[in-house]
Formats: sequence, C-alpha cells, structure tokens
Amino acid sequence: MSAIRFETVTKRFGETVAVRALDLAVEKGEFFSLLGPSGCGKTTTLRMVAGFEQPSEGRIYLDGEPVETVPPYKRHVNTVFQSYALFEHLSVEDNVAFGLKRQKVPRGEIRTRVAEALELVELRGREKARPRELSGGQKQRVALARALENRPSVLLLDEPLGALDLQLRKQMQVELKGIQREVGITFLYVTHDQEEALAMSDRIAVMEDGEVMQCGSPEEIYEQPSGPFVAGFIGISNLLSGVVDNGGVKLASGVTCAAELPGDCAQGSEVHVSVRPEKIWLDELQEGMVSVEGTVVERVYVGTTTQVIVELAPGMRLTALEQNTARARSDDRWEIGDRVRLGWHPEHARVLR
Amino acid sequence: MSTVESRPGAPRPPAAVTREPAAEKPAKPFDRPRFLKLFIGLFFLFSFAPIVLVVLFSFNSSRSLQDFQGFSVRWYETFFESESLRDSLLASVQIALVTMLIATLIGTLLAYGLVRARTRASGALNILMLVPLVTPEIVAGASALLLFTQIGFELSLTTIMLAHITFSISYVTVVVRARLAAISRDVEDAAMDLGATRLATFRLVTLPALWPAILAAGLLVFALSFDDFVLSFFTTGESPQPLPVRIWTQIRFGVRPTINAIGTFMLVVSIVTIGLALLLPRLLGRRESGLKVLLGREGA
Repeated sequence: MSAIRFETVTKRFGETVAVRALDLAVEKGEFFSLLGPSGCGKTTTLRMVAGFEQPSEGRIYLDGEPVETVPPYKRHVNTVFQSYALFEHLSVEDNVAFGLKRQKVPRGEIRTRVAEALELVELRGREKARPRELSGGQKQRVALARALENRPSVLLLDEPLGALDLQLRKQMQVELKGIQREVGITFLYVTHDQEEALAMSDRIAVMEDGEVMQCGSPEEIYEQPSGPFVAGFIGISNLLSGVVDNGGVKLASGVTCAAELPGDCAQGSEVHVSVRPEKIWLDELQEGMVSVEGTVVERVYVGTTTQVIVELAPGMRLTALEQNTARARSDDRWEIGDRVRLGWHPEHARVLR
Repeated sequence: MSTVESRPGAPRPPAAVTREPAAEKPAKPFDRPRFLKLFIGLFFLFSFAPIVLVVLFSFNSSRSLQDFQGFSVRWYETFFESESLRDSLLASVQIALVTMLIATLIGTLLAYGLVRARTRASGALNILMLVPLVTPEIVAGASALLLFTQIGFELSLTTIMLAHITFSISYVTVVVRARLAAISRDVEDAAMDLGATRLATFRLVTLPALWPAILAAGLLVFALSFDDFVLSFFTTGESPQPLPVRIWTQIRFGVRPTINAIGTFMLVVSIVTIGLALLLPRLLGRRESGLKVLLGREGA
C-alpha cells in the first residue's frame, strides 16, 4: 500500500489549471521529490496532500484511505513550510510541543519527546529562545523538529532549504537525508533545485505546467531524460536538433551521428539529441565516437571544471567540460576562437522527441 | 567599498584623512537653518499654550480667567460635588467603555473577515469600510438623529452608544487589519497542520499575534468616544448628557472656572488612555508598542 496515491487529480484555480490529471504513487519510507520550475504545480500538489487545497477532480489516498473529507488538522501528515511559519510568540520548545499538546499527550511525555526532537536537529540549549533570535538554519531545524515530532506517516517539505545560503543548504541536504533515513518517515519534497533533488531523493517526479513529465530514480532522470524539457531542466542542456536519417540522426549542422533511436521513429521525423557535458570528449577522441567540429565561443570557469562552450553551427551550441585537475596546464587549453573537435560514444547520446 | 574600510588592520583610506580638517571648519550658516527651530518652537507654543493655561487656571483660587491669584482645588471640588456633572462623567465613561468593547469585537471580526475571506466583493468592501472615517461627523450625527427619530427610538445613552459604535468600528478594523495582513497565512496553516482546529488556530496563533493591535485599537476608540462632542450632541437625550455636551451646555450660560477643571480632568483621562495603549503591550512582554501598531511602523 502506497503512503500517498494520486488518482487523476486535477486542480483548477478559476480558469487556470494548476495540476492536470496527476497519477502518482509515493511508497512508504521513500524520499520522493517533486521537481519543477515555479508555477509547475508542485506546491499545489503538496498543499492538496496537507489538506489546504481540495482537488477539483480525482482523489488522493493517504495510507490507502481517501482523504477529501478529512480537514488538515485530522490528517496524519505534517508540513515544513518554505517560510518556516514558526509561532513567533512561542519559545522553540513550545513551537515543537505545539502538535503534541493538540493531541493531548501527557505533559511528561511531551517534555521527553521535545527534548529528543531538539537533540535530533541539534538544537539542545536553545529551548527557551524565541524564533526571532534564531538564524535561518536554526529556524529551519525548529520547523523540521516541530513537524517530525508528531511522527506523521508522511512529512511534506515545501522548498525547506530555499531561504538558506548555498553552504548551509548543502549541509542541510546531507542532514535531512540522514534524518529521513533515521526516522524512516516518507518524505514528499518540493523543490526547483535539480541538484538538491538529485542528491537527496529515492525517486523524482519532474513537473511542468501541472503535469508529470517523468518519474524515476535520480539516475534515470539524469541519464535517460524522457523528453527535451526534462533533459533541459536537469543539468546542463546540450540539445541538438536534427532529423532521423538511416538509423541515426542528421544534425542541423550537417553531421550525421549514430544514436540509439526510440522504437517508433520514422525516417525524417524531427528529434533532439541530448548529450551530457561530462560525456563529451575534447580533441583526443576514441575509436567509434561520434565526432563534430566547432569553434570555442565561451569559457566559464566554475572551480573544479571549466565549461567550454562550442558553436557547431550558428545557434547550435554544445557545452563540454574541461577538468581543472592537477595535470591540467594553463598554457595548454582551449581559448575563445580555437577550432576544436568534440566527440562522444553513441550510447551516451539520447534521442528525444 | 565598505568591506575595504571595515577590514581590521587595513590602512585607512586617504579620503578619511582629508575629511577630518574639513569637519573643524565653522559650519556654514545654511548647514542647520535656525528658522526651523523657530518653527518648531512656534508649533509647540501654539499647541500647548492653551492647554497649559487651562490646566494652570483650573488650580486658580479666584474666579478670574485672566490672572492667577493662588493655588486651590476648589474648582475640582465644585466639579465632583455637582451631581449633574458627576452623572455626566459617569455617562461618558459608560459610553466609552461600551463603545470600546463592542466596536473592538465587531471591528476585529470584520478585519478578520476582510483579510482572510477573499471573495470578489472584498476589494469593494475594503474601501466601503473606510467611508465612516471620511464621513463628516456632522453628517453622521444628523443622519443618526434622523434615523432614531424616524423609527421612534427614544434618545438616551443607548442611542449615543449606537452612534459611537457605528463610527468606531472602522477605526478598529483599519488598525487590526494592518496587523492581520502582516501575519503570514502559512502560520495559520501550520497550526492547522499540527492538529489545531480553526477555532483553536485563531485562539492559539492568530489572537496572540493580533492582540497588541486589538488593545491599541480599543484604547483609541475609548479616547475617541470619551471626548466626542458632535455625535453625542446629536444623539443625546435630556439627561444624563455626556461630559463634552454638558460642558457645551454650561458654557452657553457663561464661562466658569469649573470648565478648566473638567477640561484638565478629561485631558488626564485621554493621556492615561493613550499612555496605556503605548505601555501595556510592552509591559505584558511584547516588543512592539501600541504606538508602533497604530502607526503601522512595525518590524517585519
């Protein structure tokens, strides 16, 4: 039995359709992410699970039970809000104890459980502090402890790391994943940050315009994107347009490259070829590789690597990565204007329609 | 640039060195215009002089309203010994209290409804609600009088209260609405998410965040109602009349020093009320004072 199941759920706000015929099942104990650009319907989906919004059509099941008639305060799910939504007039301790008090848990038990929760999020010693005295990261932990404290069957997280700076976000990603593994609760995680989703999730659903474009493990999503949108949204997009030609793809630049075609690709139909930047070789090519040629138009230094952007034909660009390893020499690199040969193994290219 | 200057041990930028002798030069005559001080002085003189005179002459031992002849509290004695004046004072306090309680309750609920229940009409309602604030009081008073006489409602303290409540609701709504709009909807959602019913959410989360504004609004309404003249004048019955109306009636038969004592007394009541609005939230452990709530100058 799934922890959450959406059955052709549609949500409309007036004329606009926020979520369109969503069918999705989140399994127990899973770290499941809804990933997509803002306005794709991911937060609305989350709010429907919490009970703040009602589906216009379709049903949502929590632990197998339909929940359309269950108000938010009776659902066995808890939410971590992007804004944290802490109660400013209550101390950290009372914030965390809020849910337990509503459930009329005995006072002694509340005290020990709150202490445990604060231990888990490493906030011991700040029990009496008011939310306004805490840093962003600490507020985030209080919000997490407050939600986890009720031992929900599903924890809903709405871009919980969105307001933190990069350093802290990376650290919290690891901690969140660790906490999820420790408590074993199903996490439904909403984010627009593809790196975050890839790093933490067991499975990801990529959404666009209220629809799930692809649902799968991070590897599947990254290595085998189902379409141009997913390929473009996850990682750096290297999308080359072309037409199917004799079992390969004839690119707009004129080169025909060998690639594994999806089952029903008619000769001459328009497709995209997607190659991840890290799969592209610069200059020293191997036997059996697809080879193209172009001019370096941009170099973007990003620390461990430098992105080399190569123009194959007007409007047709590829990004390749140059490793900034110990062996790399500053006098031997590709400069803007250099002609360069790029290549990749055919199995690393994906043909998308 | 500021990062350079604040770095400890970094050499001081040359600009800072050259700036120092410049500061020792005599200030130009236009740097701080003296006439501004004059304006401020005149402002305070004109606003406070009449009040100071009233307070001063309320303690005058003679009947004279021109020269101060010695300290005495005889006019206060006359004030409190006069049964009709005592009744008027009591009536004014009653009116102000009832108005405060009822207008605060209705105004708060109205604010909650306007902010939280988003309907097609809420835009229009939000503006309509301001109408009582801009209606000339004389119009409000006259129309209230017409209404009461038309439906045969005998003029009494009740009619004054009704008029005051109607007039005050908007003040409460404006003050409370501003605070309510600053409370994130997420916080209320979070409370419901954690198992609080709608009512419990309002009691445990919304109200605690709202009550400094409610308190401030209530005290403001008390002060407004206590010294209101126009509305009271139109809607009052024969007796007892509220204090401001009573003073006006008395003045028609000649200005007597008792007026100074009553005026001073009302001044003290108003100052105490406003003072409470400012201090109570702070004394009860809130950081924002009522003044900030009233002026909408709260931290985020």
